Amino acid sequence: MSESVVVAKEVWKIYGSGETAVPALKGVSVEFQRGEMAAVMGPSGCGKTTLLNCFSGLDDITRGQVTLEGTDIHAMPDRQKSAYRAKRAGFVFQSYNLLPILSAVENVEMPLLACATKPKEARVRASEILQQLGLGDRLNHRPSELSGGQQQRVSLARALVNHPAIVWADEPTGNLDEEGSHQVTDLLRQLNREYHQTMVVVTHDPEVAARCDRTLRMRDGNFVS
Amino acid sequence: MIDPLLVFTLILLGAVGLISAGLAARNRLPLRIALRNIRRARSRSVLVVLGLLVGTAIISGSLAVGDTVSAVNLHYTKLGLGYTDEGVFGLGPTGSYQYFPQSVAGQLINASSTDPQIAGLTPEIVDTVQVFDRSTQIPQTNLNLVGTDPSASRVLGSFTSTSGASVMGPSPGMVLLDQFAANQLDAKAGDAITLYGSVPVPSTVQAVVQDDLRGGFLTAGLSGGAAFVDLSTAQLVENVSGQVNFIAVANVGSQSSGVGLSSSVSAHLNTTLSGIPGANRLGAHPLLQSQLADATAAGSGIVTIFLVFGLFSIIAGAMLIVGIFTMIAEERKGEMGMLRAIGLGRRDVVLSYYLEGLIYSAGSALAGVVVGVATGYILLYAYVQLVGSQSPGTPAVLTSFTVNDSSLLASYLAGFLLTLGTVVIASIRVSRLNIVRAIRDVPEPPPAIRTYTYLAYVGGLVLVLGALLFATTYRGTGDISEPMIAGGMILLGGALVGSRFLKNRAVFTAVGVGLVVWAGYQALQTAVLGTAHSGGIFVVFIQGIELIGGAILLFAFNAAQLAAVVERATTGRLATAPVARMGLAYPSRRVGRTAITTTIFALVLFVIVVLATYSATLTGNLSDSIGDESGGYTFFGYSAQPIRDLPGAIASNSTLAPLYANVVPLIFGLGELAIPGFPLNNYHDNVYAAASGAPVASNFYDTNAFPFQATLHGVTAAATMAQLSSNQSVAIVDGSYGGAGFSTSGHPLVSVGTVVNVVNPGTGASTNVTVIGIMKQLVLGGIWLNPTAAQSMGFNSTSGYLLKVHSGVSPTTASQATKAAFYKVGLVLVDFTAILATTIAIISGQIGLLEVFIGLGLAVGIAALGIVALRAVTERRRETGMLRATGLTKGMILKMFLIEYSFITLIGALIGGTTGLLLVYNLVLSPGASAADVTKLYIPWLNLLIVMLVTGCLATLAVISPSWRASRLPPAEAVRGIE
Repeated sequence: MSESVVVAKEVWKIYGSGETAVPALKGVSVEFQRGEMAAVMGPSGCGKTTLLNCFSGLDDITRGQVTLEGTDIHAMPDRQKSAYRAKRAGFVFQSYNLLPILSAVENVEMPLLACATKPKEARVRASEILQQLGLGDRLNHRPSELSGGQQQRVSLARALVNHPAIVWADEPTGNLDEEGSHQVTDLLRQLNREYHQTMVVVTHDPEVAARCDRTLRMRDGNFVS
Repeated sequence: MIDPLLVFTLILLGAVGLISAGLAARNRLPLRIALRNIRRARSRSVLVVLGLLVGTAIISGSLAVGDTVSAVNLHYTKLGLGYTDEGVFGLGPTGSYQYFPQSVAGQLINASSTDPQIAGLTPEIVDTVQVFDRSTQIPQTNLNLVGTDPSASRVLGSFTSTSGASVMGPSPGMVLLDQFAANQLDAKAGDAITLYGSVPVPSTVQAVVQDDLRGGFLTAGLSGGAAFVDLSTAQLVENVSGQVNFIAVANVGSQSSGVGLSSSVSAHLNTTLSGIPGANRLGAHPLLQSQLADATAAGSGIVTIFLVFGLFSIIAGAMLIVGIFTMIAEERKGEMGMLRAIGLGRRDVVLSYYLEGLIYSAGSALAGVVVGVATGYILLYAYVQLVGSQSPGTPAVLTSFTVNDSSLLASYLAGFLLTLGTVVIASIRVSRLNIVRAIRDVPEPPPAIRTYTYLAYVGGLVLVLGALLFATTYRGTGDISEPMIAGGMILLGGALVGSRFLKNRAVFTAVGVGLVVWAGYQALQTAVLGTAHSGGIFVVFIQGIELIGGAILLFAFNAAQLAAVVERATTGRLATAPVARMGLAYPSRRVGRTAITTTIFALVLFVIVVLATYSATLTGNLSDSIGDESGGYTFFGYSAQPIRDLPGAIASNSTLAPLYANVVPLIFGLGELAIPGFPLNNYHDNVYAAASGAPVASNFYDTNAFPFQATLHGVTAAATMAQLSSNQSVAIVDGSYGGAGFSTSGHPLVSVGTVVNVVNPGTGASTNVTVIGIMKQLVLGGIWLNPTAAQSMGFNSTSGYLLKVHSGVSPTTASQATKAAFYKVGLVLVDFTAILATTIAIISGQIGLLEVFIGLGLAVGIAALGIVALRAVTERRRETGMLRATGLTKGMILKMFLIEYSFITLIGALIGGTTGLLLVYNLVLSPGASAADVTKLYIPWLNLLIVMLVTGCLATLAVISPSWRASRLPPAEAVRGIE
């Protein structure tokens, strides 16, 4: 039996106010099931990234409701929201957003440390997932010493190390070449099946969308299909 | 006359201005970009100007204080001497003017009447007098007595009453009292007084005139207190009918132009004097000229002290400027890359950046001059409040507040060029910008091996130059700063060469240790350089820079390891793990910028710790040294006229007899000393001698407890004193001859066994004596002779005394009773405890003010931290957003930034503090220390703790706002890097 992990009802996001108000999301309603890998596609400026930010709790909404695993994410105070992100959510971005000052393994450890995992245990788990993603020999390299594909794999490892319920991916292959793009998409699909995590992937790439269970198309702040 | 260097700098500034204006006129677009950049972020521009002005403020503040000190001294020199350019006199054995027949003055006046360079000569009496105000019943001893022609304004200048009216006189039989003397006597015009010289002379106060040290002559300075009478009254008071002791000479021209003739007039007068019978002991002295030179030298001495200590803050300021412009360059990297991409040439981009820096430099240097002058005034105001009551001339410090045009110009130019220089360096960095990397915000790659090769060439050159400098300076008596600099150059040059072939961490760690050991381990310096070198205040700067530089290298190249230790220690609580990880990661892994900020803090705190500890050590040891200084006595006394038998007089006085345990009379005079190796062979100092064989209660050799720094063959103090009492060819000297004291520059140094030639200038008699002991005490400065030897040279005046009160007797009570009994002979008592307390207050006050001034540099450190924090928030926007997305709360982000800056501040404070303490230890306690009278290092922990706490609080205030902003960044916007 399917279980809705993400439930959005009539979500509005309006930037600015008065005459300069720009609605980015216009009453979006959608549900994502546990273990589902969904692609969100649409032209630039249609609200894909805004949707991802608002649904994940990174950004506030203007109206409506978003529940993650049954809890209204926007009703939570900031501390609780941060704790939820640390334990139950993972993020992958187009530009990787790795911390350049930290090594690969230290980057991956951060969500674990944020959840008060013991440093030694965090190091073991971060090393294991990096080895699983083929970066066992790059544990102590800084991001500037890694290729784009390798950096995105570190980013994936960071998103998944805590076994989150939901992974939010914003253009995860946008900065990669074709081969790198294939590798990352394969990994996302493989991990989705392996850990049965919900993945919401914002993408322009039809090939990425084709590998997902469902594709949602957006235009002008709402889904069209 | 304007300094040629200033003219050159002015020309350089003009050239910079013209070239810049030409470039701006030909390239309007870069100028528009520069102006827009300044206008678009006004709060940032204010911060930049504040950061930039500190260096200029320190320079202009130093020069303002120096100018004022010169101006005050010049003011009093000119007032004190009036129109007197030269003085004709001969010195007696006690350092006072010797009397000679007035007819000699008449012959000199006649012989010089045709000299076109001399406007006039007038005979005078300049002596000391005791005054008793019969109206107020108050006595005052030891005032200057100036007896001159009734029309003395010719040579003394006009007198001005306290109400500002012009006063003629002094009228025959009347006295003009200056304000200081009047205050002591509580006197006013019309008071009946008695003048006690050799003969009591009743008189009346004609007027109280402004306190300007007029007529101070040889004692011109801030001693104060004078009574002016006509010449015949002075002759009556001193019982020297038909005699005078001074001839004032005024040159033609104004006070300023007349002094230029002084050398030639003095030479001419000396030739004339040699032909006048009875004038063989007289000489013409260019008083105004030499005192003006002393006044100027005193001012420049102050400037040197302020500038040398200020140099640390100036360097910190320069580093801050580099930091500011690097921040601006990095912030605008993308924008500048885009400008290049749309067609602007590299030259245009650099020019816009340069013009922006030029505008900032010009504006901030101007603001810095104003802030510096204001700071100088505030410091002098504080000084006057602190010591004004102890010295009559001090209030004039404020009325004489002066900043010369040349000082204003010099500080503006120095500040402007300092700032512009760093802007040019930053511009050169900008010119190397890679367009693609700039637009895509890709980090610069690590330096190529080629870079290390170039650095190795530079290092080789520095090493060779250092070795040459070392080889030519490491032996001899030159300034020790030179081989110290050479040692540093060798180490740094070696490091640059070594970094081409070895790991940076190993090389620079070794050099860091090397620099700290070289500058901080005095035994090594003594072993390598010997002890013959001279050393000025500049060596403090060199050693300080080497110590801090070494410690910073040591930290920077081991920061990651240090941070790992700290991180392990702080992650006991799991919640702090990610915060500690991130808070320590940046300062320990981006060591370049961490080192700059840490160095700024270390430099400033170093100077503060050095000054505070040095002051505390000197004053602490002074307090401890009361026994050493007093030799067990309560007072040192001296009288204007010898007291034939003070012990007997006190014993027979029913009030005084119960107060005193010992009263020791001393022969007290002034001698000329010829000391081997000291260039000035007519060095003047006090001569003391105590009678041997006196009764126990007045026997110096039985009652004194003066300890010694050193004695010949290491014998005891008692044995040394016994030898002095019986052997005519030995002497002992005060502690300053052994190198003790706060300021020993210009003072001769001797060691035990040295033979010194002593001359009595009054009789011409001389003798050679061997120094058998160097005392610890400094208050009674001079040389102590065997009594028979002193008397055979003509030192006969028993006008010095050592007195010890009985246990339980108040020194104040004893002093008042004794002075009341002996004021007619001008007995002055110096309380050893009180003089030490005054010395301590003055040292603490002066160093304290210097500390406050140097504390300006703290503003640099705080500003640096604020700027680094601002820069970090901007640079790390996306990373901060990612950390928030990862689950870090706002509070954790805030803590992360605060840990980062606390770490930097703490390391800076630790480095500055420990190196500062090490330097003070070397200065005062190590085997080669310059302050030999210091036996214990006093660390003012409470003061230092307060400084550290204030620094910490201010640093937190500086970073709290940007850190707060960082923690409040909306994560969704931050991760996308949208500003």
